[in-house]
Amino acid sequence: MIEFTLIHDGKDWIAENPQIRVAASTLEELDRCIKASLIREGAIQPGEVKKVFMAFDNATIPQWIRQYAPHYFNRVLKVTLALPDGTITET
Amino acid sequence: MEDLTHRKWYSGMTTSEDWWAVWLGLAFFFLGLLSIFGPDLVGWVAKPAKWGGTVALSHGLKPAGKAYKSLGPWGSLFVTYAFFTVATCIGAFAMKWNVKKYFIGWTFIFFLTYAIWVFFHHAFFAANITNRAKFGLDWSLSLGGGASFIAALAIGLIIGNFFKGFANFLSEAAKPEWFIKTAIVYLGVKVGYMAMKAAGFVFHLAVAGAAATIVAYLIFWPGTYMIARKIFKLPRKTSAVLSSGISICGVSAAVATAGAVRAKPIITVMVSALIVVYAVIELVILPPIFTATMMNQPIVAGASLGMAVKTDGADAAAGAVLDELMRNRKADMDGTQWEEGWITTSAVMTKIWIDMFIGVWAFVLALVWVYRIDRKPGEEVPFSEIWHRFPKFVLGYFFTWFAYLFILMVIAGGDAHAPIVAAAKVGAKPVEGVMRKLFFMLTFTSIGIITDFKKLAEARFGRMIFVYFVALFIFIVPVALIVGYIFHHGMMVPIVTS
Repeated sequence: MIEFTLIHDGKDWIAENPQIRVAASTLEELDRCIKASLIREGAIQPGEVKKVFMAFDNATIPQWIRQYAPHYFNRVLKVTLALPDGTITET
Repeated sequence: MEDLTHRKWYSGMTTSEDWWAVWLGLAFFFLGLLSIFGPDLVGWVAKPAKWGGTVALSHGLKPAGKAYKSLGPWGSLFVTYAFFTVATCIGAFAMKWNVKKYFIGWTFIFFLTYAIWVFFHHAFFAANITNRAKFGLDWSLSLGGGASFIAALAIGLIIGNFFKGFANFLSEAAKPEWFIKTAIVYLGVKVGYMAMKAAGFVFHLAVAGAAATIVAYLIFWPGTYMIARKIFKLPRKTSAVLSSGISICGVSAAVATAGAVRAKPIITVMVSALIVVYAVIELVILPPIFTATMMNQPIVAGASLGMAVKTDGADAAAGAVLDELMRNRKADMDGTQWEEGWITTSAVMTKIWIDMFIGVWAFVLALVWVYRIDRKPGEEVPFSEIWHRFPKFVLGYFFTWFAYLFILMVIAGGDAHAPIVAAAKVGAKPVEGVMRKLFFMLTFTSIGIITDFKKLAEARFGRMIFVYFVALFIFIVPVALIVGYIFHHGMMVPIVTS
């Protein structure tokens, strides 16, 4: 499992861990950027499926709202990089 | 810094307000419970009493327990301040707030709240036909403790709207949700205490309140969503977030839904600001209207408030105001004295059922959004989201309720006059009575302080304001009354017998 902290800075969604930081205006675009970054960093190999966990940092939500609900959302994303012949192996 | 990616089921137990409401509630619950072994460890709490006319102000505050009579009003007030200051400052420290700022703000809010509480217990405001002669009065407003609640809200609103810099400073300690959730844990003691006297009635109230959950999720939400989408043409995500806020449980539902549909946080902020302001409007106007029109169905009125008024703080506060207004009006009408707390309980019990399922509802919405609407490739919805969104203070509420029920039904074998029940009542009364009302009062003051009506004019709420107005007053309130009537009609508040 590859883990990220997720925030929204008012303009972009930002997923970050000590090795990778990606930003995008939509979650769809963010997911594509994460996959590209994982490939670039060699964190995913052809034929692999990796789980990506994104924990939303509630500090993004103003403090006066946090007293009503301490949790926003977490995401789990399966990133797949198929082999040229289309096969994959879940890890 | 909290490790966000390795969050366990127990994460947040020492760092979230939700859990701290449980700890603050249970700490004083256990102190009270020790009365079954003899000592009264909670009777020191300062309890306001009616004064004015022939009764001097010095009688307006006294310790709740007979064992602490020697403390007098000032000693009792100081001990109350000391206990709750230490307890809440420990919570503030654990939650990593600015403790110095919290301490100063808390001290101001605490003493302001007590001053309002005592002053508005003047017989001119609080006495009714059954007791005004005791104060040498021919006439009074008959508002009971409702006058204090309304005054605390009004004075809080004056600070929040006319002294904004000061209100901003106080906001570190103005925590209506923390205070009301703590009060609801104390209310669990009240419900357990009431079950000692009328177990069947409490059970009926709980079952009937559960029906409201179905209404909120399956009638209010789709109806409000349709109003937002079809009539006001709001975007899909905004409609979903707004619908949850208006029809389920206010800000917490809006935040949960926004997370479920992956909305940008700005939508949550806008909807939440709108909900807080509307909740105060509901809190001010609905209790007097229900009192004027529904005196023959007090439990229906309470349960309907639970379905209509959003945010736990505003709902419980509205229930408490309704309780005071209706009981005092009843006494004025025919001299009948209804027992205190049943109408508040009917409002809160309905809301708690609704609160408990918000995690499940948000999970269902997340499944629908992720797999059917957005269809993002590879995304899954973690099951743990249900637990993360579960309101933890509910655990404290049920624990305290069932603890007293256990004493009555198991230890005392159902005998409400057994010595252990009498001993348990000594410690339960200051907690379920004075401490609960103190935290209600703190909630009223705090709601006022953090509510800025100018936000309505400044923020670009646009059509959302009208969606809220139409959905609330034309759809939700009428349906809440109909459903409240179906499930609660005929239930009457027990009459004070001694």
